[in-house]
Amino acid sequence: GMGHMGMGGVPPAAQTLAGAARPVVLNQLYPTDLLNQPFNVAELELPPPPIILPANSSVTPSPDANCPPRYVRSTLNAVPTTHSLLKKSKLPFALVIQPYTSLHDSDDTVPIVQDQVISRCRRCRSYINPYVTFMDHGHRWRCNMCNLTNDVPQAFDWDAAAQKSVDRWQRSELNHAVVEFVAPQEYMVRPPQPLVYLFLFDVSFASVSCGLLATAARTILDSLNRIPNADRRTRVGFLAVDASLHYFAVPKDTEEAGETQMLVVSDLDEPFLPIPSDLLVTLSESRLSVEKFLLSLPQMFQENQNNGSCMGSALRAGHKLISPLGGKMVVLTASLPNVGHGKLEMREDKKLLGTSKESGLLQTGNSFYKSFAVECSKNQVSVDMFLFSSQYQDVASLSNLPRYTGGQTYFYAGWNAGRPEDAVKFATEFSDYLSAEIGLEAVLRVRATTGLRMSTFYGNFFNRSSDLCAFPAFPRDQSYVVEVAIDENLTQNFVCMQTAVLHTTANGERRIRVMTLSLPTTTNLSDVYASADQCAIAEYFSHKAVERALSSGLEPARDALQSKLIELLQTYKKELAGGNMGGGGLQFPANLRGLPVLFLALTKNVGLRKSAQIPSDLRSAALCQLSTLPLPLLIQYIYPRLYSLHDMPDNAGIPDPETGMIVLPPPLNLSSERLVPYGLYLIDDGQTQFLWVGRDAVPQLLGDVFGVQDRTQVKAGKATLPELDNDFSERIRSVFLKSRDYKSRSVGSIIVPHLYIVREDGDPSLKLWAQTLMVEDRADQSMSFQQWMGTLREKVSS
Amino acid sequence: MDVEAIKEQWTEMEDRDGLRLSWNVFPSSRMEASRLVVPIGALYTPLKEKPETPILQFEPVICKPPCRSVLNPFCQVDVRARLWICPFCLSRNPLPPHYKDITPQAIPPELHTSNTTIEYKLSRPAPSAPIFLYVVDTCQEDDSLSSLKDSLVMSLSLLPEDALVGLVTYGTMAHVHEIGYNECPKSYVFRGSKDYTAKQVQEMLSLGSGGGMRPGMQQQQPGRPMPPMGPASRFLLPVLQCEFQLTKALEQLQKDPWPVANDRRNLRCTGVALSVAVGLLESSFQNAGGRIMLFAGGPATEGPGLVVGPELRESIRSHHDIDRDNIKYYKKALKFYDNLAKRTAHNGHIIDIFAGCLDQVGLLEMKGLANSTGGHMVLTDSFTASMFKQSFVRVFEKDSEENLLMGFNASLEVLTTKELKVTGLIGHAISMNKKSSSVGETECGIGNTCSWKMCGIDPSASYGIYFEIANQGGPTQHQQTPQKGMIQFLTYYQHSSGQFHLRVTTVARNLSGPAGDPAIAQSFDQEAAAVLMSRIAVFKAEVDDGPDVLRWVDRMLIRLCSRFADYRKDDPSSFRLEKNFTLYPQFMFHLRRSQFLQVFNNSPDETAFYRHVLNHQDVGNSLVMIQPTLDSYNFNQEGSVPVLLDSTSIQPTHILLLDTFFHILIFHGETAAEWRKAGYQDQEGYENFAALLEQPKEDARDLIQDRFPLPRFIVCDAGGSQARFLLSKLNPSTTHTTGAYGGVGAQTAQTIFTDDVSLQSFMDHLMKLAVSGTN
Ligand SMILES: [Zn+2]
Ligand SMILES: [Zn+2]
Repeated sequence: GMGHMGMGGVPPAAQTLAGAARPVVLNQLYPTDLLNQPFNVAELELPPPPIILPANSSVTPSPDANCPPRYVRSTLNAVPTTHSLLKKSKLPFALVIQPYTSLHDSDDTVPIVQDQVISRCRRCRSYINPYVTFMDHGHRWRCNMCNLTNDVPQAFDWDAAAQKSVDRWQRSELNHAVVEFVAPQEYMVRPPQPLVYLFLFDVSFASVSCGLLATAARTILDSLNRIPNADRRTRVGFLAVDASLHYFAVPKDTEEAGETQMLVVSDLDEPFLPIPSDLLVTLSESRLSVEKFLLSLPQMFQENQNNGSCMGSALRAGHKLISPLGGKMVVLTASLPNVGHGKLEMREDKKLLGTSKESGLLQTGNSFYKSFAVECSKNQVSVDMFLFSSQYQDVASLSNLPRYTGGQTYFYAGWNAGRPEDAVKFATEFSDYLSAEIGLEAVLRVRATTGLRMSTFYGNFFNRSSDLCAFPAFPRDQSYVVEVAIDENLTQNFVCMQTAVLHTTANGERRIRVMTLSLPTTTNLSDVYASADQCAIAEYFSHKAVERALSSGLEPARDALQSKLIELLQTYKKELAGGNMGGGGLQFPANLRGLPVLFLALTKNVGLRKSAQIPSDLRSAALCQLSTLPLPLLIQYIYPRLYSLHDMPDNAGIPDPETGMIVLPPPLNLSSERLVPYGLYLIDDGQTQFLWVGRDAVPQLLGDVFGVQDRTQVKAGKATLPELDNDFSERIRSVFLKSRDYKSRSVGSIIVPHLYIVREDGDPSLKLWAQTLMVEDRADQSMSFQQWMGTLREKVSS
Repeated sequence: MDVEAIKEQWTEMEDRDGLRLSWNVFPSSRMEASRLVVPIGALYTPLKEKPETPILQFEPVICKPPCRSVLNPFCQVDVRARLWICPFCLSRNPLPPHYKDITPQAIPPELHTSNTTIEYKLSRPAPSAPIFLYVVDTCQEDDSLSSLKDSLVMSLSLLPEDALVGLVTYGTMAHVHEIGYNECPKSYVFRGSKDYTAKQVQEMLSLGSGGGMRPGMQQQQPGRPMPPMGPASRFLLPVLQCEFQLTKALEQLQKDPWPVANDRRNLRCTGVALSVAVGLLESSFQNAGGRIMLFAGGPATEGPGLVVGPELRESIRSHHDIDRDNIKYYKKALKFYDNLAKRTAHNGHIIDIFAGCLDQVGLLEMKGLANSTGGHMVLTDSFTASMFKQSFVRVFEKDSEENLLMGFNASLEVLTTKELKVTGLIGHAISMNKKSSSVGETECGIGNTCSWKMCGIDPSASYGIYFEIANQGGPTQHQQTPQKGMIQFLTYYQHSSGQFHLRVTTVARNLSGPAGDPAIAQSFDQEAAAVLMSRIAVFKAEVDDGPDVLRWVDRMLIRLCSRFADYRKDDPSSFRLEKNFTLYPQFMFHLRRSQFLQVFNNSPDETAFYRHVLNHQDVGNSLVMIQPTLDSYNFNQEGSVPVLLDSTSIQPTHILLLDTFFHILIFHGETAAEWRKAGYQDQEGYENFAALLEQPKEDARDLIQDRFPLPRFIVCDAGGSQARFLLSKLNPSTTHTTGAYGGVGAQTAQTIFTDDVSLQSFMDHLMKLAVSGTN
C-alpha cells in the first residue's frame, strides 16, 4: 500500500537516478593575476562558489533541499575524494556552522516537524533528510551517511492528530535541508528546564561609580517584557558582588507586605545559600517585586566604597543556586576579581606588550576559570561576561567561562554611563541580549557520510566527547568551525554532513534543529580550488590563528598565516598554473582572490597585530570575537567596510524601490589613497563606526551632516549623529543604520557599534586608531598591501 | 546585748551598707579564726538602692597609690595639719584645699559617720550609651515567635532613647541585621556549622579597617574623634534613630525557613549566633557597657556549642548521663561557651539568657556566659508565658530619674586593714588578677586578687566575699578600746545615665580580745553565715561530686556545733545552742535537701539556673531559696501566720502560701478545696470564704512585686497532683519513717543523712555527732 498512502504527489522516479555518475562539470577554475588585477572589496560580498550536485541527488525536487550557506558553509564546495588530494591541495576542509541566523525565531523561520515522528538511521543515528533514498516501495529508506537500510516508521505517512494520511513528499524533512523536529519524551533526561537568568552584579565602588550597576538594573527592568517567557516558567535571580556576596530573597507578588531581603555572605570558603528558597524566582509570579527590586538596586549600593570583588566565589555560589535547574549566569562587572575563589592578579606589564612574553597575558591566570567552566557545563550552567573595567580586568582568564559553557564575553573598554553613547550602546545591546531566544541544555553533533570524520571543533562550548559539543545555553550570535578529516576514500559522487542541535527552546520545548549539507566530490585538484570558499577559509584560519596565538604566541600566529598563504600560492602555482606565473604576476583562482588581503587584514586585527600599545584585555576581547563572530560579521571585523559618503550615488542611503531596503554606497578598499581631503567616509568594522571628516571638508557638507559651518566646530570623538532636517543627513544616518542591519545579512547579533567622529586634522590618537582599520595601508610595524603582495610574490617565485 | 537588738543592728547596717557579715567581731589571731569553722565573709550588695542618700557630685579624695582608699568616716582627720590618715596603709595624705573649713559641725558628707556607704558621680563619661543586642532564635513555633517579637518590640519603648540596639537572629544560620540600612531588610549571614574566629567575624561584617575598603575612605580622619560607634553603627543604632527599622525587622521575622525532617530537630546554631554577637560588640565597643540578650527557643543542635545532635532519637543529656560520663557534646560545648564567656567578660559585655522552651536549651553548658558576665538567666516554658514576659520587662526597670536600674563594667576592689586578707569572691564576676597587700594566702571562690570585674551589675546583685585573718601575733594587750578591723569596698561602674560612678562602703568591726573572747560567738550572724556557706557549697558542687559536697556541709555543721554549742561530751541530751546559732542547723538541713545540692530531681539546665540565681541574691532572698517560707490562712485570724515548713502545717480548712523564691504556691486544704470547688466563694453569705481565698493571692502578688526572675505561680488543692510540689518541700515529720533512725552510732557521719530524713532525726544525729568529740 504505499501507492495509496500519499506517495502520489511527486513521482519518485528522481530517486533512482541519485548516486549515478558524477556531474560532468563542477565550478570552473578562473585563474586571475593578483598583481595585475587588483582585488576589489566588493568581491567579499559575493556568495560562495555554488554547490553543484548531481541531478536528482535529493529525494524531492525542493529548492531548499540543500543547506543554505547562512547556516552551514564548507571551505570546500567540492570535496576531494581522498585524503591525499586534500593534503595536496593544502586547503583546509572545514564547516562553518551557524545554526541560528537571528536572535528571534520570527526573523528566521525554519520548518518545524510537529508530529514527533523522527526517523533516524539505526546505525549512524542520522536524521532522515532529503538525500536519503527510499526503496522497497517506500517501506524502507537507505541512509545517505552509512548506507544502512532502515524501516520507514508507521506514522510517517499518517497524521495521528487529524486521523488521515499525509503526503510523505510534503514532509518538511524531505524538502528542507534545515528543519526542526519537536522531540518526543525519549529525548529528555528530565522535564525541559525553564529559562533561568542569574544576574551577578558587580556592586563595588568601580561599578557603582561608572554607572554600570544603575544602567544594568535599569535595562533589565525595561527589558522584562522582552525576556522570553511564553511558558511563564522563566526564572530570575540576583547576586550583588563586592568583597561579599549579597543574595536577594524576592517575594512572590501574592505575599502581603513582602519585601525583597538582602542577605550578605562574606564567608567565601565554600559557597552556601543563606536561605532555601526565594533566591531564584519565577518572573511571572514575582514580577512586581522584581521590578521594585531593580528600581531600588542602584540605591542600595549608592554609598558602597568597597573595592573588592569576589566574583569567582560569586560564580560558585550562583552555580550552587541554579545548578539543580541549569541556566545562564550573567556577569556584569567592572572589577578584577581580587577576593575569594578564582582571585586574579594584576598581571599586565607594559614592558611585556609587543614581546614574545605577551602571549602569557592572553592565557588563563588561574586554573579555576577552566575547571569551574567544566563543572558549569556538566550542570547545564552557562556564563556570559559583560566586562567594563577601566583598568586591567584579565579578560583572558574571565573569558574562559563563556568559552567552555557556550557563553560570550562582551567587553566595554573604558565604559562610563556618564557618556550617553556608552549608556545607550550597552543598554541596547543588553536588552537585545535578554530578548534572545536562546536554547538550553543543548548538544551539537555533526554526522557525515562514511569516510568523513569531524576531527576538530572550534568555538565556545565544551567538547564532551570526540564528536559531541555541549552547550548549557545555545546562543544565537555565534558560529562554529568543525574541521573534517577524510579517513577513507569517498566513492560516492556527493557526500552529506548533517549538523544536529538537540536543545530546549526558550519556551520549554525539546527540539532538534537539523541541517544537512550535501557537497559533490571530485578527484580533481582544480575542482577543489575552483569551489573553495575564501570567506569560510578565512574564518577557519581566524580560529587557527587564535588557537596559535594562545598556545604559541602572536608572532607565530602571524607567521603561520603568511606561511599558509605562501603555501597555497605555491601549491596553486605548482599544481594548477603549471609552475609558471608568467610576467612576474601572481596567479590565484578568482574565487580565492580575497585570501591574501584577508590574511593580511587578519594579521593586522587588534587581536593579532604586532604592537606594543595594545592592552592585553583589548587583545583578549578581540580574540574572543575572532573565534565566535558569525561569518559575515567576522569578515567585516577582519576587513572593515569603507564607504565614501560625500559623493555617494543618488540611490544610496534611500530604500531600493524593489526591495525596500536601504541601498549602501559601493564599498571601497581600505587604503588611504581612497580618501580625498574634502571627503566624508564611514569606516565600519562592525564593532566601531568611524565617521572620517577630511581636512578640507566643505562647509555645506558639514552643515548638512553636523549642523555646523566650520570644521573646527565638529566635535570629534564618541558621538551620535545629529538628526538634521535635510536629505543628506537622513541618507547618511540610513547608511549608518544599514551598515549594521543584521537581518539582511542573516546573522544574529546584539552589537551596536560605537560611532566616533574623526577629524583628519584632529586628535592624532583618534585618527591613528581609525587608520589602523585601513588595513591596506602601511603601518608602523606592518606592511602595506602592496608590500605584502610583493613579499608573497618573492616567496612564491623563489 | 540582747540577740534581737543585735539582729536589729545588723539589719540597720544591711540597709545602710548593703552588707551582712558572718562574723561581726573579727578574731584577732589566725589560730582563733581557724576555729570559727564558718569563714569570715560578707554578703555584699554594692548597688543596693539607697534613694535617700545623695550622690556626691565631686571626685573622691583618694589615698596615695598603691593604696587608693577613699576618704571615709573612719579616717583620722587633722584639720589643723590639713591632713588625713589612711586607716588601711597608715599614710598621711594632705586634705584638698577646700576641706580647710571642716569643723565638727560642718564636715563633708563622706566623713559623716552615717555615710559608711557613699556614692560619687565621677567626671569620667561612659564610652557609649548602653548597648542592647538581641539574639533571637527563629526555630520556634509561630505563636511563640510572635509573642517574643511582641515583647522585643515593646522593649524598645523601655530603653533610653540613646541606647544602642541591634539584632542577631539564628536558626540553621546566624543573621546579623543591618538595621542602619534603609533600602531594604538586610542581614549578614553566617554558616551555622562553622566556628568563626573573632577576626573573621569582624572582617565578614566589614568592621575592621582595610579589608575590601577603598583606601582612605573608611579611615578615621586624624584629629577628629571616631563617630560614636564606628563601622558597627550600621548594626547598632540609637533606639530613637532605628526604632522604626528595628520594629519592622522584628515584625518581619519568620520561622527559620530550612526544612526539618520529622525525625530531626531544627538546626539551631546558638553557638555561632552568640560568637558573632560577641564579635560584633568586641570590635567597636570594647569596654562600653552592653548586654547581649539571648532568646533561646531550644538547644543548640548545629555547629560549635551544640548540646544535642539534630536527630530526635538522641536525647539531651541528664544529670544521670553526666554522672555516668555518658556525654557526647557536653565537654566540648562547655569549653566553647566558657571561652566565649571569657572573651565577653574581657570585652566588658553582658550575656543574658532567656530560655523559652519546655525542654532544656543547654543552660548547663552556657551558664558561664551569664555567670562570668553578670548576665541574667530566665528559664521559662515558652515565650508566650507571662513568666517570661514580665521577667523580661523587669530587666528594664528604672529608678526615679528614669535611669535603667543596671550598671555596666563594674569593678569591685576590696581594701583591708592589715589584720584581714581577702581570700576570694563567689558571685557573678571574674578576677581582675590584681595583687595587693589585702590578698590572702588561701583561696575561697575566685581568689588571688583583690579586685573583680562585673560586666553587669544591678541593685540586687550580691557577692559573697571571704576573708582570712593574717598570720600575726594576736591582739595587743592593754588596749583601752578594742581595735577595729576594716574593709573598704570600692565599686566603680558605668551608670546607665552615662557617667561612671563610684560606690564606697567602709566597714569597721571590732577585733576580738584575747583567746576565747565570747564576743566572737555573739557576733555570729547565722543567716548571713548560712547564705555564705551555701555559696561555698554550690561553688564546690560545680567541681566536686555531689556526695562529697553533702559530706562537707555535714562536717562543717558538726564542727561548728562542736565548737560553739554548749554540751557535755558524749551526751547529746545536754546539747544547747545559743540563740544566734539555733536556726543554722535547720538552714543546713534545708540546704542539703535543696535543688542546689540535690540535682537529680531537676534537669541540668534547672540546676544551672537555680545556682545562678542563688549566687545573685542577698541574704534575705537567698534564705527563702534555702528554706522556703510557709504561711497559713484560716478563718480564725486576720492575715497570715508563718508556720513551720512541716507536714504538720497542712490542715483541712487552712490555705497555705509557699514561697520558694522560684515558685509561689497556694495550697487549699482538703475542706477548703471542697468548698472552693463547690463555689461557696461566689455565694451570698460566704463573703468571708471569698476573702480567705483572695488573701493569699494578694500576698502572692506582693511577693512577686519586685522579684526577678518572676516565680512560677501554682495554685493547687490537697490531693491534687500539683500538691506534690509543696510536699517535697515540707519536713517529713509525720511520715512513717519518723523515729526509725535508731541504731545510734551504727552509721558514720558520712552516711547518716538521707534525703528523706526529717529535721528531727537530722538534729538528733547532729547532736549525737557534735558531742562525740571525734570531730
Ligand atoms: Zn546511517
Ligand atoms: Zn592608704
